[in-house]
Amino acid sequence: MPKKRVQKSQSRRRQPQKRRSITGYLLGLLLKLGLLFVVFCAVLLIYVDGQVREKFEGKRWELPAKVYARPLEMYAGQGLSPEQLRQELGLLGYRTVSAVTGPGSVEFASARVRVMTRGFAFPDEVEPSRRLLIEFGNGRIQRIHDELQQQDVALVRLEPALIGGIYPRSNEDRDLIRLQDAPPYLKDALLVVEDREFYQHHGVSPKGMLRAAVVNARAGRFVQGGSTLTQQLIKNFYLTSDRTLSRKLLELPMALAMDFRYDKDEILEAYLNEVYLGQSGIRAVHGFGLASQFYFGRPASELELHQVALLVALVKGPSFYDPRRNPERAQARRDLVINLLAEHGYISAAERDAAVAEPLGVRQSRRMHTGSYPAYLDLVKRQLLKEYRDEDLSTEGLLIYTSLDPLAQSHADASISDVLNELQSRHGERAGELQGAMVVTDPRTGEVLALVGGKETQFEGFNRALDARRAVGSLIKPAIFLAAIEQGYTLASIVRDEPVELRLPNGDIWSPQNFDRQSHGDVLLITALARSFNQSSVNLGLEIGLSKVIDVLRRLGVERNIQALPSLMLGAQEMTPLEIAEVYQTLAADGFRMPLRSIRMVTTAEGEELSRYPFQLRQQVAAEPIYLIRHAMQEVGRSGTARSAYQQLPSELNFAGKTGTSNDQRDSWFAGFTGNRLAVVWVGRDDNRPLPFASTGGALPVWTAFMRQEKPEPLVSRRPASITTQWIDERSGRLSDPICEGSRQLPFIQGTEPVASVDCGQFSVRPGPSAPEETESGGWFRNLFR
Amino acid sequence: MNSGKLGVALAGGLLLTGCATSNPFSNIPVEDRSSGAAAVQQPVQTEPSGVVVTPMDPGLGVRPLEVEPIVRAQREILPPADEVWQPSPVTPTAPASSPSAPSPAESPASVDNAAVVALLDTAKQETAQGDLRAAQTRLERAQRIAPREPEVYYQLADVKRQLGQFMDAEQVALRGIDVASGQNASLRRLWALISQIRTEAGDLAGADDARQQASRY
Repeated sequence: MPKKRVQKSQSRRRQPQKRRSITGYLLGLLLKLGLLFVVFCAVLLIYVDGQVREKFEGKRWELPAKVYARPLEMYAGQGLSPEQLRQELGLLGYRTVSAVTGPGSVEFASARVRVMTRGFAFPDEVEPSRRLLIEFGNGRIQRIHDELQQQDVALVRLEPALIGGIYPRSNEDRDLIRLQDAPPYLKDALLVVEDREFYQHHGVSPKGMLRAAVVNARAGRFVQGGSTLTQQLIKNFYLTSDRTLSRKLLELPMALAMDFRYDKDEILEAYLNEVYLGQSGIRAVHGFGLASQFYFGRPASELELHQVALLVALVKGPSFYDPRRNPERAQARRDLVINLLAEHGYISAAERDAAVAEPLGVRQSRRMHTGSYPAYLDLVKRQLLKEYRDEDLSTEGLLIYTSLDPLAQSHADASISDVLNELQSRHGERAGELQGAMVVTDPRTGEVLALVGGKETQFEGFNRALDARRAVGSLIKPAIFLAAIEQGYTLASIVRDEPVELRLPNGDIWSPQNFDRQSHGDVLLITALARSFNQSSVNLGLEIGLSKVIDVLRRLGVERNIQALPSLMLGAQEMTPLEIAEVYQTLAADGFRMPLRSIRMVTTAEGEELSRYPFQLRQQVAAEPIYLIRHAMQEVGRSGTARSAYQQLPSELNFAGKTGTSNDQRDSWFAGFTGNRLAVVWVGRDDNRPLPFASTGGALPVWTAFMRQEKPEPLVSRRPASITTQWIDERSGRLSDPICEGSRQLPFIQGTEPVASVDCGQFSVRPGPSAPEETESGGWFRNLFR
Repeated sequence: MNSGKLGVALAGGLLLTGCATSNPFSNIPVEDRSSGAAAVQQPVQTEPSGVVVTPMDPGLGVRPLEVEPIVRAQREILPPADEVWQPSPVTPTAPASSPSAPSPAESPASVDNAAVVALLDTAKQETAQGDLRAAQTRLERAQRIAPREPEVYYQLADVKRQLGQFMDAEQVALRGIDVASGQNASLRRLWALISQIRTEAGDLAGADDARQQASRY
């Protein structure tokens, strides 16, 4: 405000001077006109000043929210290979060099990686930039040494990858930089090319305009503009709104007002962030910060001379000089900028020659971010829109920290597209337009690590992981069997795999078939689940009752309305892949329900916490029944419907899972988990037509391909104290003995073990000294018969 | 087991009332608060009263057990011990690949991952200074790195207790007990913490149960 008053009093002071020299009517008129003019000027000034201030100080820019992936945490003992680190650093735009020079560079040796991190202001604390030597061995990090501090460090966080933004309606995107963070030569190059008298003039440069006029007159066409950076900034401020004549006329006084009110450096900084430098799809790239990411995939502070020169070259016409479309044109103008810098003594001849020799080095992709995560961002946005207004998300520059794991996401993307392409070519026409979806979580934390919404993993579209409600088929069975175990059934209980006929409410008779169209008679409960026999599942479900099954489903995490029909037992219920993941997450987390989370925290642009999504859980199933159902689900992989997975996965993985094929083979599902990864896969068609393959032909191969790349930790179930193991006769479910044919070991909740035993002479014959004596299982029983 | 029945009825009631809301945790806080080892073996039952229950003898299949003997032949070669799970480990071991394999030592503080130790130490300081939010953030970071480390759950539950989030605090501690199985010192500390949480939440009977659990280790 003080500046403004000074200005007004100056213009008033002129009036008495004029009054002294007037005599007569004409002069009186002149005075009145003069007064009018002064008033007009004052009003104009106030208006112009207001406009300038609004743009400059008010909400100067609409800043899109930035969405970050999880930061990679590194510590000694962590399972991380140099290759995985290379992938992560590639995503972050680190340069591979022969000797680490500055932040954002890395050198790879066989089992060592030297990297200079960039550092990042996390909401909880600032992670400094450090030069680290990381040593690998046995697929793990062995040691992390800070070379500048000369000490080992326990824990390091890399900066999180920026995976997307939430954009304002204007579709302007920018990444603010401060003048002091600008790379070397940016300011020099900008001034030398665009406005050499920037620090001398008052917002407009009559000299510059005159020179431009002369040059243009000589050339006979428009070759040079006389606009100062200040004028250009004003033009850019109004670039998106209508460019009327009045705006044009106002440009001059606005430039003067802006120059009067603000520091040269403030104006320059605003210019750096405002100038239009390219187009990424529908989004306009503004400012050198974002342009640096857009063209070179690295922060502006890490740009080299030739890269700075190219960006400055683009100021004149980002489309005309587009380095991707018109590389020769762009290079010529870049070299012109470099030469101007040398001419004016900013760089040496040697530096000029080196810079001119550099290729353009622009990254090919026009996408703003290295990866593309449309399905995951969709999930994040939906969660945010429950709590934030749309306009706040797109204009306030909020920082959103998610749990997306870019490495897991790239494995999931690759698995879906590779397997679907393969299926498509193998089955041809009969497969139709195959589609797929996938949800990956960490079963120990309930965080969603990756999400695939369709075959075209890179493009936004129908998000099947969240929106495709499909019949879940046999994925429902663990809930039925868990309900049975809670009712006192054991893994050795005998269930009838026999034809069953049910009258439905609409009068139809429903008689489910097994996949192989055969009935298998009396089978052990564990076998019925492992081999996914439909008839025994329906029989079992009917025995324990629909209400029990529905209760278990609710506790496991189904919030949707469940239809209480007998067809529920075969998975007629429709659910989305994400809902299935919620259910299996509870099975994987030892019966603790954890609502799936994708966002860790939301902060303001300044890092102030707005909301957090803490780790929450509720125990919904006791440890013992969970132990048994997981044992049965591990059998699915060992000897059941998913055994083909072990052709590609290590046998010690011990994963637990379930195949699912809906009626008429319209949906192919697999849901399964290891120690640290849970993945749900759906494969099917948008038109809901039958597939030429079942679960094992579609979803399971995708799941297997994912796990093969992900190299997850094995599943180790802690055995609760009250779980015992017994040798059981396969056919009768009675107690047996290792020496009897057809016996196998099964876990039991203490007190539920069978009492009767089969007889193969184990009670009369003392096992030879070479045979191991089984003391635990049934020893007391055996002794009774001795 | 009067308290157990009461709990079942209560849980049933909660189930019925909770269905209307969208909070995923409003449904049924099923937790085993009944005392003694026998209760642990019982599957969780949330049977709303009025529903027909078909009682089943544990261990019996669908059919009544037949009394006639069943005879099987003997094996020539004994089967190898099932590789899916070891028959009788004395102390369950963490996955070999886990960076935070729990130490068999008695001291609960013997976390052997330097990164987690650093996080736990800082979180402890932050808790002591009353900066509970910061401690919570740090402990969740520790949990992502070492989700099998009971001490992480102990401290996180304690922070939630101090934040007055008793339900969350108790559940986190119960999860700690789940991952601590076989580590007596941790189990004792966690049950003692649950007793304290329940006391502060006004559940004195539950606190008493937890104290008894703690004394078993």
